[in-house]
Order: sequence, then structure tokens, then C-alpha cells
Amino acid sequence: MPAPMAAPMVARMAGPRELTGKAASPGRALGPAFRAPAPAALPAPAGEDARAALAAALARAVEELRGLAAGADPQSAAVLDFQIEMLLDPEMVEPALRRLAAGDGAALAWAGAMDAHIRTLAADAVPAATNPAGEDAFAARAADLADLKQRVLDGLAGRSRADFPEAAIYVGEDMPPSVFLAHDWSKGGGIALAAGSTVSHVAMLARARGVPMVIGLGTLAVEEGEWLRVDGEAGLVLRGQIAGDEGAIRPDPPAADAPNASPPAGSGPLLSLSPAGRGSKGSVPPDAPSPGPSADRPAGPSIPFRLEANINSLADLDAVDPASIDGIGLVRTEFLFLSAAEALSEERHVESYRRILARVPGRPVRLRLLDLGGDKALPGLVEGGPGSLLGERGIRFLLAHPDLARLQARAILRVAAEGEVGVLLPMVTLPQEVAAVARLFEEEAVALARLGVPVRCPPLGIMVEVPATALTLDLFADAAFFSVGTNDLMQYLSAAARDNPAVAPLNAGSETALFRLLAQISAAARSLGKPVAICGDLAGDPEAVARLVALGFGDFSVAPSRLSALRALACPPVPVEG
Amino acid sequence: MSEPSPAFPRERSGTRWQTEVEVTHGIGLHARPSVAFTRLAKSFPCAIEVAVDGSPDWLNGKSIVKIMGARIRRGTRLRIRAEGFRAEEAIVALGELVRRNFDEERKNARPDGRSDGRPDGRPA
Repeated sequence: MPAPMAAPMVARMAGPRELTGKAASPGRALGPAFRAPAPAALPAPAGEDARAALAAALARAVEELRGLAAGADPQSAAVLDFQIEMLLDPEMVEPALRRLAAGDGAALAWAGAMDAHIRTLAADAVPAATNPAGEDAFAARAADLADLKQRVLDGLAGRSRADFPEAAIYVGEDMPPSVFLAHDWSKGGGIALAAGSTVSHVAMLARARGVPMVIGLGTLAVEEGEWLRVDGEAGLVLRGQIAGDEGAIRPDPPAADAPNASPPAGSGPLLSLSPAGRGSKGSVPPDAPSPGPSADRPAGPSIPFRLEANINSLADLDAVDPASIDGIGLVRTEFLFLSAAEALSEERHVESYRRILARVPGRPVRLRLLDLGGDKALPGLVEGGPGSLLGERGIRFLLAHPDLARLQARAILRVAAEGEVGVLLPMVTLPQEVAAVARLFEEEAVALARLGVPVRCPPLGIMVEVPATALTLDLFADAAFFSVGTNDLMQYLSAAARDNPAVAPLNAGSETALFRLLAQISAAARSLGKPVAICGDLAGDPEAVARLVALGFGDFSVAPSRLSALRALACPPVPVEG
Repeated sequence: MSEPSPAFPRERSGTRWQTEVEVTHGIGLHARPSVAFTRLAKSFPCAIEVAVDGSPDWLNGKSIVKIMGARIRRGTRLRIRAEGFRAEEAIVALGELVRRNFDEERKNARPDGRSDGRPDGRPA
């Protein structure tokens, strides 16, 4: 619940009482406005800024360690002194500075350099057999380096993390996905954006989480703390209507409100804002227990297909009734980690993947490698931006920064030994990219196995989202499976960015082109004998699903909030294919 | 063996001073001894380098990364050389630090007087 505030003074209100925008995520929310700082206030560390950010984080880490050492017993102080000495050594920092000069962000540069130091220390550890103590004192120091790595990464992250009060209405030009993900939405709240797009990642996240969101509001002259009502169905933001109107406006928990949403006006024909379909009347809130696969199935013939869930965060797991899905068709791993520090922690990866596997025991989970770049930035790691939509994003970024790819590969190799894990490569353009990732996985598997860590090489599938790939699917026989990312495929096919409102009609209007290409993808996958799934927003639209089934698609992975609508169409889950 | 020698063996060549000493510390130059070594080295203005067991590679004696990376174990012959202001003083001080087992007996004095073999003070 929002903190109680003094009754808003209606007299103070200036400007229109009703701001018209476009609905991006259904539901209604009431709360005090939180005005996001202008982007200029959050500079992305790059170049000289990145050097300064790293230097500041190092200085802060040394200071922290000195503080700890001052109050520590002699043995602990000795360990802390060692860490301080390490951080003060130019030899320690020099490789990170070289990486910065080569264009890495501060966090990636630091983590990559530290991983290299750690490898050097651990590389020729004395085998346990010739080391009666069972532990090599030098190799054990690698743990100190890992600790230092994390401490400095935390310092870097602390600077860029900017949360806002619970239950507030986030007001800003646009909203970075990392800010959305770092926020606790369980107390309610909503999003009102001056710009934004219904098909942006943050809009997708908001719909999946049931957070009301309105975009395209233009200049937003609201004051900090002013009470606002976000109407994610009508696409409106209301101001100054609180006093004397309590009966009508009450903060609602988003989950109770959102799933019963009626179709917002002006939504495109396909892209995810469609009505909840035949199931809408009795659809299930994402976090409510499922009434079972057949509870709200409409009369008439149902369509057989596999239904899987897309997962953007561990909180999404709670929104999924595991009994009603055939697996997790897509884990957008880039959203699991709120900071570069977390994304660069192998243990953090392992922990997150284990929790996802545990939610759907015995069923497949497809982990997509970090798809960073474009509108998915991770400060200190990837700055992103519209330029990188056609540049270094997805697998291109990972292959250019193999330290990060190897870290994620190690985590996946470890978890794959414990469950049915598949890997999806994002933004694949050429078969060589698949081969390069396969090599990387094999190398890491050998290295881990040598250390006695149980691993399994998971099958590598690809995202079909670059038109060149979609048109040459027959060349990708080495991929184990395909998953069509319709959102990106649509934007690259129409040459109309999905987060640019000015060209949104072109993006949505390229549906014919998209369906022709989908027909070709379906045929190519069939002739290769490879499974193909649809995991974009298109798969969450019951009308589109009927057309996709007609094209031969039978595997859909959708946001948790779309599961009930899709379940209404589907037969009871069919057994998972071998 | 661990008695500091007033006439510490050392050679001079031009402005450079050099010495050689055997590491007798239980486990070698791991974390704490490395800290002691590099902190002492950094207290001298001269350039200080070390080389291990006749290796031709000279490592920066003020860098804990380099010292740790050299994995200097018990029994290693450690050559230390210094060049510049107070070079002679530096190699004597560093050589004696190694011969004194990095002063760890004092920090980790055991009732039975044993000071061998055991990794000292490392938390489990």
C-alpha cells in the first residue's frame, strides 16, 4: 500500500486533469508520482567516464577493506591486508584498464581482468594427491580474487542502481528494463511514460508482471509526489481527481486488476495487446491457482499444441502454474540479473537456473544466452542504445566478449547436468556463430570436467529473429531446435524499430510479410526434422495462434499473463517429445 | 638459520645490488608473506626485482600479483636485486625478512615453539 499522504491540494494542480496516451499494459494503479531523473543524470560509464567509475569503485573498495581490517582480529586482518595490497597493485588493475581502452564497459573490463588473474592462480594448482593438506594455498587465494572482483563490481553497480518508492507511479521519458526489474512491484504502482512503446521490453515486462502502464503521454508536467491514476486500459493518466472521489479510485493490487482487462483502444492487430480472447471472461490472474487446463476452455474443437512459459525474472515463476505448462520455452537470462555484478557472477547464474528447473521438474527449460544490446543495457557491461540494434547485440556481443559467454556457458553446463536444459542463441545470423558457441561450450565443458565438476553439454538451438537466418534456415542443420522471436523478426523485417512510436504502424503493418516468412520457416524446420517454437508476443494472441497452427506450428511459449488465454485454446498438454 | 646476519651476503654491480636467499617459510610466499614482502619493498624508492630458482625472468618485487604469480614455495632460491637510491639497504632488509620467515613466528607464536610446515593463520 502507498504511504498515506496528506490530501492532495486540487487547487495546486495545473495543466489538464486527464493526460491521454496509449495503453501499454492493462490494469489500473493509483499512487504518488515518482519523477525519474533525466537520463543525463545517470551517465553511462564509457571511455574516460568508465575509467573514473572504476577508479572510484576501487578506491571505495580499498576504503571499505581498510575499515574492515581496522576492527578485525589479526588473522582476518591479514586476509584483508592481502586483498588491499592486491587492489593497490597496478599489475592488478592494468589489464582492466587495457580492456577499458578496447571499449569494454567498466564492470566487464574489471570482471574479465579479474577472471584472467583467477585463472592464472588456479591454472597450475598442485594436484591434491601431491598435496597432503588437500588444498593448495596459492590456488585458495583465487577465492580472495573472486571476492575482490565482486566487491568492486558491487561498487560499480551501487552507482547505477536507482530504485524508487514502493507503490509509486514511475513517471519518465522511458524506463530502463533494469530499473523495472530492480523494483518491487508487489505493493502495486504503475508506469506513465512520455515516450515509450507498447512493444518495448519494459512494456513486455510490465504486461508479464501485471503492472499498469501508459506510454506516449508527451510532456509530463506532473509534480513529484502528486497522486496519479494510471489507467492501462483506456491509456489515460488522471491527475487531481483524488479528493472526494475515494469511492471510485482506490489503489488496487495489480494482479487482481490486470488480467480482467478489456482490450485497450488502439492496440495493433497482433502485437500482444489483443483481448484475452475467448477465455477473457473467466481468465485467471497470473498468480492465482489454476483451475486446471480445461476449466475455461471454450466449447468447440480445441487446437493441439504445446504450451510453454516465457520467464523474465524469478518472480515470474510464481505467476506460472507449473501443472499447466509443458516447460519453459524461453528464459530471457539478460533480465534475471539486475546489475553487471550479478550478471558476472557464475554462482548467481547457477542459482537462478536451478530455481527455474526446480519449478518445472521433468520438463524442458530453454535458457537463452544473454541478449544484451539494443534496448537491453546493463550499465557497466553493455551500454546498448538504438545503434546497437543493428550492431553488437545478442550472440554478436557475446562472441566479441567471450569472458562473459564462457561464464554463462560454465553455469549452464553445470546446471544441464541436473535437468533438461536447452540453450537458445540470440540474434544468430550465420551458421559459423553457432559453431563458435558450440566450441566455446565444449572447451568449458572439458575444463570443468578436468576439475571434477559434473557437466553436460546441452543442445544448442537458435532464435530465428534475423531475416537472413529465417530465409536460410536450411543452412542451420547444426542447430538442435529453432525458436522464432516474432518481435525482433518483425522489426528487422519491416526496418521499423519496435520502440519508435513514429514507425509503429509500419512495424505492425508488416504482418503479411511476417506470416509469409513464418510459412517458410515452418516448412524449412519440418524438412530438417527440427522442432520449431514461437516465443514472441505473437504467440500470446489467440487469433494469431490459430493462424500459426494452420502454418504447422505447434509449440508456443508465452508470458505468464497470456497462459490462461492460450490454455483456453489448447488441448490438455501433450506429452513432451523426446 | 633465522638469525639476522649483520654481514648479509650481497653483491654489487655498478648501482645494482643483488642477493640470494632460500625460502624456509612453511608454505612459501603465500598471502601474508607476500604482503609483508611487497609492503617492505614499496617502502624503498629504488626499483626492486626478484627471480626464482635461476629463472631469467625478473619480476617486480613491489607487485603482489607478480610475487603470488611466481608461486614461491619452501626451498625456493630467491634472488633479489635492487637498483637506485637505498638499493643496498633494500636488499638487506628484504633478504632478512625472508630469512626471518617473514616475522611470522612472532605473530603466530605457538606454545610448543613449533613453527614448521603449517599454513599459518589462514582461515578455514
